[in-house]
Amino acid sequence: MPKIKKKRVGIKMDMTPMVDVAFLLLTFFMLTTQFKPVEDVEILLPSSHSSIKLPESDVMMISVTKEGTIHLGLDSQILRERLFGVEGKYKASMQVTKQDLANLLIQARVANPRLRTVVKGDRGAPYGPVEDVMTVLQQTKITRFNLVTDFEKS
Amino acid sequence: MAGVDSGGGESRSHAKHAKKRKKKRVGIRVDMTPMVDVAFLLLTFFMLTTVFNKPQTMELNLPPDEKATVEVAESSLMTVRVDKDGAMFWNIGSEPLQALAFNDLRSTLIQRNQANPKLITLVKVHRDGNYKMMVDIMDELNLANITRFSLAPMTDKDLQLMARAATL
Repeated sequence: MPKIKKKRVGIKMDMTPMVDVAFLLLTFFMLTTQFKPVEDVEILLPSSHSSIKLPESDVMMISVTKEGTIHLGLDSQILRERLFGVEGKYKASMQVTKQDLANLLIQARVANPRLRTVVKGDRGAPYGPVEDVMTVLQQTKITRFNLVTDFEKS
Repeated sequence: MAGVDSGGGESRSHAKHAKKRKKKRVGIRVDMTPMVDVAFLLLTFFMLTTVFNKPQTMELNLPPDEKATVEVAESSLMTVRVDKDGAMFWNIGSEPLQALAFNDLRSTLIQRNQANPKLITLVKVHRDGNYKMMVDIMDELNLANITRFSLAPMTDKDLQLMARAATL
């Protein structure tokens, strides 16, 4: 018994369908993946029951941090260079003061009239800066804007 | 060019033989294992890094001009005030302020709007108050299907009213 070794049976399986599916999934995930842009400021979003999706492009993002500072972010590199100069070209957002904000908003809207304004406030942000931002938006005739929130399941 | 021509001629001269003797196809076997390994590696990477939940947004419309005023009867104006500690008060017109817990906000809003369908809600949040509070209140307003509301800055008079209501 110990001398007669059991012969191993080589199982051959057709892997083609599995590999096909794997490649299909791979291409799907590769094409749908959007890498999160590097953000200078971390913002924890408040939650709401609203289900309107954030537009993917032509977004002008005004962020209000926990400390109450205002950051303006644009998704187009060309526009960022025009507004903030070369130093701001590779940054996702730049810190701005509420005095400069109106001017920058108008410039950005002139450069790209399709820009949608989005206000992204931190959960713990004080209301004061947000109120200032809304006043500026009203002054610059941007009366329609969106507040970014997380989806809350009810 | 010449090389190509001569090659063509040669193949034509051998055409008779070629017809009879079929060229045997050579089955090329390439080991696909490394490629598939890499493919699976990338697949798992993309699957794990993909984030599907996109942030939601809440749409807000401001009146186009700050000077535009809308005359509202005092009896159909409900004001919700939030002070810097997050305490909430509500009143209609110039009635005394009443404290309001956040959980009761929606039911109060629905109740008041049923009592007076022309009711307009005014939200005033203290500048040092929390932004989350404003979003929560607007969310509650949306859930209560109230579309006629506006945000207003808090004045000293509101602060006095709230201070008086808090001491009661």
